[in-house]
Amino acid sequence: MMNWTLALPEAALACAGLAILGAGVLPRRHDMFFPISMAVIGALVLAGVLVLGQGDGAALAGQYVSDAFARFSKVLVLIGAALALTLALDFNQTDRDLARFEYPVLILFAAIGMMLMVSANDLMTLYLGLELQSLAAYVLAAFNRDSERSAEAGLKYFVLGALASGLLLYGMSLVYGFVGTTSFDRLAEALTAEHAASLGLVTALVFVLAGLAFKISAVPFHMWAPDVYEGAPTPVTAFFASAPKLAAVALLTRVLTQPFGELSAQWGQVLWLVSAGSMILGAFAAIGQRNIKRLMAYSSIGNVGYALIGLVAAASADPAVRSEGVRALLFYMAIYLLMTIGAFAVLAAMRRRGRPVEEIEDLAGLARSDIGMAVWMLVFMFAMAGVPPLAGFWSKLFVFRAAIEGGYVWLAVIGVLTSVVAAYYYVRIVRVMFFDAPGAAGALDARPASLTVVMAATGLFTALFSVAPGPLLAAAQAAVAAIAG
Amino acid sequence: MYVGAVFFPLLGACISGFLGRWIGPIAARWSTVVCMALAAACGVPAFFDVAFGHNPATVPIAAWIATGGLEVSWALRYDTLSAVMVGMVTFVSFLIHLYSVGYMAHDPTQPRFFAYLSLFTFMMLMLVTADNLVQLFFGWEGVGLASYLLIGYWYERESANAAAIKAFVVNRVGDLFFMLGVALTFWTFGSLEFTAIFGAVDQHLGDRFLGVPALELIAVLLFLGACGKSAQIGLHTWLPDAMEGPTPVSALIHAATMVTAGVFLVARMSPLFEYAPTALAIVTVVGAATAFFAATVGCVQNDIKRVIAYSTCSQLGYMFFAAGVGAYQAAIFHLFTHAFFKALLFLGAGSVIHAMSDEQDIRKMGGIWTRVPVTYAVMWVGSLALAGIPIFAGYYSKDAILEAAFASHSATGMLAFLLGLVAAFLTAFYSWRLLILVFHGAPRADEHVMAHVHESPLVMLVPLLLLAAGAVLTGYLFAPFFIGHAWEEFWAGSIHNAPHNHILHDMHEVPAWVPLAPTVAGFTGIALAYVLYMFAPGVPERLAATFRGFYLFLLNKWYFDELYDAIFVRPALAIARIAFRVGDQRIIDGVPNGAAALAVDAARGAVRIQTGRVASYAFTMIIGLVLFVSLLYLGTTR
Amino acid sequence: MAITLAHYLIVAAILFVLGIFGIFLNRKNVIVILMSVELILLAVNLNLVAFSSALNDLTGQVFAMFVLTVAAAEAAIGLAIVVIYFRNKGSIEVEDISTLKG
Repeated sequence: MMNWTLALPEAALACAGLAILGAGVLPRRHDMFFPISMAVIGALVLAGVLVLGQGDGAALAGQYVSDAFARFSKVLVLIGAALALTLALDFNQTDRDLARFEYPVLILFAAIGMMLMVSANDLMTLYLGLELQSLAAYVLAAFNRDSERSAEAGLKYFVLGALASGLLLYGMSLVYGFVGTTSFDRLAEALTAEHAASLGLVTALVFVLAGLAFKISAVPFHMWAPDVYEGAPTPVTAFFASAPKLAAVALLTRVLTQPFGELSAQWGQVLWLVSAGSMILGAFAAIGQRNIKRLMAYSSIGNVGYALIGLVAAASADPAVRSEGVRALLFYMAIYLLMTIGAFAVLAAMRRRGRPVEEIEDLAGLARSDIGMAVWMLVFMFAMAGVPPLAGFWSKLFVFRAAIEGGYVWLAVIGVLTSVVAAYYYVRIVRVMFFDAPGAAGALDARPASLTVVMAATGLFTALFSVAPGPLLAAAQAAVAAIAG
Repeated sequence: MYVGAVFFPLLGACISGFLGRWIGPIAARWSTVVCMALAAACGVPAFFDVAFGHNPATVPIAAWIATGGLEVSWALRYDTLSAVMVGMVTFVSFLIHLYSVGYMAHDPTQPRFFAYLSLFTFMMLMLVTADNLVQLFFGWEGVGLASYLLIGYWYERESANAAAIKAFVVNRVGDLFFMLGVALTFWTFGSLEFTAIFGAVDQHLGDRFLGVPALELIAVLLFLGACGKSAQIGLHTWLPDAMEGPTPVSALIHAATMVTAGVFLVARMSPLFEYAPTALAIVTVVGAATAFFAATVGCVQNDIKRVIAYSTCSQLGYMFFAAGVGAYQAAIFHLFTHAFFKALLFLGAGSVIHAMSDEQDIRKMGGIWTRVPVTYAVMWVGSLALAGIPIFAGYYSKDAILEAAFASHSATGMLAFLLGLVAAFLTAFYSWRLLILVFHGAPRADEHVMAHVHESPLVMLVPLLLLAAGAVLTGYLFAPFFIGHAWEEFWAGSIHNAPHNHILHDMHEVPAWVPLAPTVAGFTGIALAYVLYMFAPGVPERLAATFRGFYLFLLNKWYFDELYDAIFVRPALAIARIAFRVGDQRIIDGVPNGAAALAVDAARGAVRIQTGRVASYAFTMIIGLVLFVSLLYLGTTR
Repeated sequence: MAITLAHYLIVAAILFVLGIFGIFLNRKNVIVILMSVELILLAVNLNLVAFSSALNDLTGQVFAMFVLTVAAAEAAIGLAIVVIYFRNKGSIEVEDISTLKG
C-alpha cells in the first residue's frame, strides 16, 4: 500500500523546496530573492506537469488519494501560487524587507500544504496539509517585519487561525471517537442515516465545519480576513485571496460530500446560513470602504458566499443536482481565482513615487495616466460584478442555476440581490478610475512588466472566457465525476 | 454575405481601436467607414435576398455553451425581421459613419470614436441576428456598454459623464427585468433557442408561475426590459440626457441602434406576446402614454437636440402601441421609416450646430435658411416625414399604426388612437416650431457667430441627401410589403400573428375619416406653428406667461421625478425607481440618500462588529459555532 | 470509582472551554492567548488518546503525535510573530492589537 510514487508531485515539490531552501541559505548573500523566486516558479510548474500526469488511486496507506477532483484543484492551486509569486517579483524587490528569499520558499511550502489538503483522504492528512499551509501563511502575513500593520495582521491571523485549528481538531477528535476511524473511505461506509440523529456527531460536524469555514473566511468565521488582507503586504494578500481559498473550498467539498455525505441534511442547513450570511456581509460591508485591499477582502467573503451556493446544492437529495452544484462550485472558484489575482495585480501596481498606496481615491484618473491598467481593472471589476459576457457572469449564472434546480430559490434570490448591491462598489471603482479627476498627489508610477504579464494573462482569460468556455467546463465536469458521481 | 454584414463593423472597430494609434486618425476613420460600407454592401442585398427572395437562413458560427441542460449555439438568424433590421442598421450606420468623418474632423481622439461607433453597430447587429436569447442578451448588453462609452465620449465634460452613467444605470434597471424574463423563459421552456421556444408556446399556454400565467409574466418582464432600452415612460429619462454625446452618436442611438432594440425584442418575441393579452394591453398603454407625454414635452424644449430626442421618445411610443394592438408589422415598418427620417433630422441638426459654432439653443438661432440651403431643405424633408404628411415616409407608417389602433376595437386601442392623434398634432407643431425658430425670423445669435454660418462640407451633405431620399421614398416603396396586401408573403412567418389576430386585415377597413385624421392633425399642427411663431411671434411668450404653471410643467418634463411616486404604484417599478435614484444620485454625486442610505446604514452595521479586537473576533466565531450547533439540535429533536 | 471514558472526555471538554474562554476573555497579554491555544490542543490530544484506548485502536495516538508536533511548530511561529509585533509596537497588550478595523 505504500505506493508513494502516486504522490510524486508533492514529494518532488517538497524535495525541491528543501533544495531551494538550502540554495537560499548557503550563499550568504542578500540578493537571493529573484533567483530563488524563479526556481520556485519553476518547481511549481514542474509540479503542475507532474500533477497532469498523475493517475487515479490511493496511496500511503489510504491517507492520500489522487483523482480528477484533486488534480483539477491542484492545477489551479499551482497556477494561483505561481501567479501570486510572479505578482510579488517587482513589488518585493522595491522593499528591502520584502526581498528575502524565504518569501518564495514559504509560498512553495504553502503550495505543498494545499496540494495535500485537496488530496487528503484521511482526517490526519487533512490536518497536516492544512497546518502546513496555515503556518506558512501566518509567517507570510507578518512578512514585512518592520511594518506595524503587517505584524498586527500576522498576529491576528495566527491567534484566530490557531483557534480555528483548535475547533477543527476538537471536532475531528469527536468524529474519531464516535465512528472509530479517521479514514474518509471508512467514515463514508460507517456513517449512516442513524448517525445523523446523534447529537454528538452533529456537534463534531459543526466543529469541523467551523474550522474549515475559517480558512475560506465565510461568515461568521470571516472576521480575520479584512484586517489581515489590509495589513499584509499586497502580494501576500493576493496569495491569500486566491490559492488557499480555492484549496480550502475544495477540501471542504471533499469532506462534506464524501465522508459526511450521509449528513448532508445537517451541513446543508448550516451552509445555507453561512452562504447567505457571506453574500450579505460581503455586499454591504464593502460599501463604505476606502482601502481597496479591505474592500477586496469583503468582496472575497461575498464571493465565497456565492461559491458555497454550489455546495448547498450539493446537499440535495437528487444526484443530478448534487453534481451540478459541485460543478458550479468548482467552476466558480476557478474563475474567481484568476479574476482575483488579476485585480490584485492592479493593486500591486498602485505605487506613487515608489511607495505603495491603497486607497480607492488613489486610482482617480487612472484612465488618463495608464489606460491599459484601467481597462484591465475595469474588466476584473465588471467580471466580479457579474456583467456579461465576462467570465464572472457565467460563474454566477451556474451557481444560481444549481441553486434553483436544487429548490434553494431563496438562496438564489439573495444571491441576485446582493450581486446588485455589490455591483455598486465594483462600478464605483470603475467610476473613480475613469471619471474622477486625478488627486493632487499625481499619477501612479509606471507598472512593472511582471505585473503586466499577470494582468494580461488573467484579464484575457476573464474577458474572452465566453469565447471558449468548453475546456474549463469539461475539466470541472470530470472533477465532479470523481467525487459526486 | 450574411456573416460579413455582422462582422465587418467588428473588424472596423478592431482596426480603429487597436491599431488606431499606429495607423493614425485618418486611416483609422476611413478603415471603419470602409468596413461599414462593406457591411452595408452585404446587409442591404441580404435584406432583399431574404425578404423578397424568400430565402431565410440560419448561419451557424459555433457551439457556444454546451453544458448540462443549457445548450446555446452561436448562429446568425436571418429571417425577414432580422433582415429588415440588418439592412436598415448597416445602411444608416454607414451614412452616419460617413457623416462623422466630416463632423468629427477636428476631434483629437478620432480612432477611439470610430471604434466605439463601429462596435456599437456590431453589437446591434448581434442583437438583431440573434438566434437565441443568450446571444440577444449579449448584443443587448453590448449595445448598452457601447452607448455608455459613446455618450461619455467627451469625458472631460462633467455633464457627459453624468449622462453616460445615467444611461448605463437606467439601462441596467431595464436589463434586470430582461434577465428575469430570460431566466423565466428558460424555466418555462427549458430552452433559450427561439425556434424551440416558439415551437413550444402551445404546450405552455396554461403554465403558471407564482400564480400568474407564465407567458404573461415573461412578456411583461421582457417588455420592461425593452422599456429601458427604448426609453419608454418611466425609464425614458436617460434618452434626452444622452444628447451629451456627439451628434452622430445621437443619430445612431435614436435612429438605427439601441432604442429600436426594445421594439425589435417585442416583435421578435411576438409568438409569445400574442398569447399574453394583459401584457399587450400594458404595452399599448405604456406606448400611448409615452407617445403623448414625450410630444407635449417636445413642444417647449429649447435645445435643438432635445426636441428631436423627445420626438424619438414619442415615435417609439407609437411603435410600442402598434405592437401592443398586435400590429407588429406596422411597428417594424414605422421603425424602418423612422430610422431614415430621424437619422436625417439628427444629422441635419448636427449640421445646424456645426454651422452655428456649436450653439444648441434654438432661441439663439434664426434667420439662417439662406446660408445653409441644403440643410434647410433636408430638415424640411425630415420634418414632413416625421409629421406624417402624405407621400413622405412617416405618413404611411404612422397612419397604419393609428388605423391599427382604431381597428383593434379595444378600450386600450381606442385610448392609444386618441393619444396618438393628439401626439401627431403636437409632433407637427413642435417640428415646425423648430424649423421656424432655427431657420426663419430675425437672427438672434451674435454677429460673430452669424459671420461664421456656413454650409457643411460635402462629406456631411451626401449622407444627408441619401437619408432625405430615404425619408421620402421608403414609405411609398415598402408600404405594400410591410403592411400592405403582400405582407404575409413578405414576413414569411418571422413575425407571428395568432389566428385570432386579424389586425392587419382590419386596419384597411376602418371608416374613411380615420386615415384622414392624422393628416389633418398634422396640417393643423403646422398651421398653428406658423401662426404662433411666424406671424405672431409675441403670442407664445404671452401664452407661456398666462399659463405659467402649465408651461413650467411641460418645460420641466411633467415634473417627472415627483410624478414617479404617484404613477409607479406597481412594486416592480418601485424597485426600478429606487435603483434609478441610487444610480443617478449615489453614483453621480456620491451622496447617500433615499434607499442608498439604507444600504450605507447596513454597511455601517456590518462593519461595526469589525472592531479590530481579536477577542471580539474570537467571540463572534464561537457565537456562530454555538448558533449552528443549537440550530441542528433543535432540528434533530423536532 | 473507576475512571471511565466519560471522565476523560469531561476533563478534555473543560480544558477546551477554558482555552476558548482564555482567548476572548483575556484582556491582558498575548502570551496568555498562546497558552490558551496550547490548552485547546491539549484537550484535543486528551480526547484522541482517550478514544484511542477506549476503541482499542492506535490511530488516535498516532494522530495525537502529529498534533503534538504541529503544536510545537505552531508555538514557535506564534512566539516569533509576537516578538516581531513587540519590536514594532513596544507592547503586547491584547487591547492594543486593534489598529486594523472597520
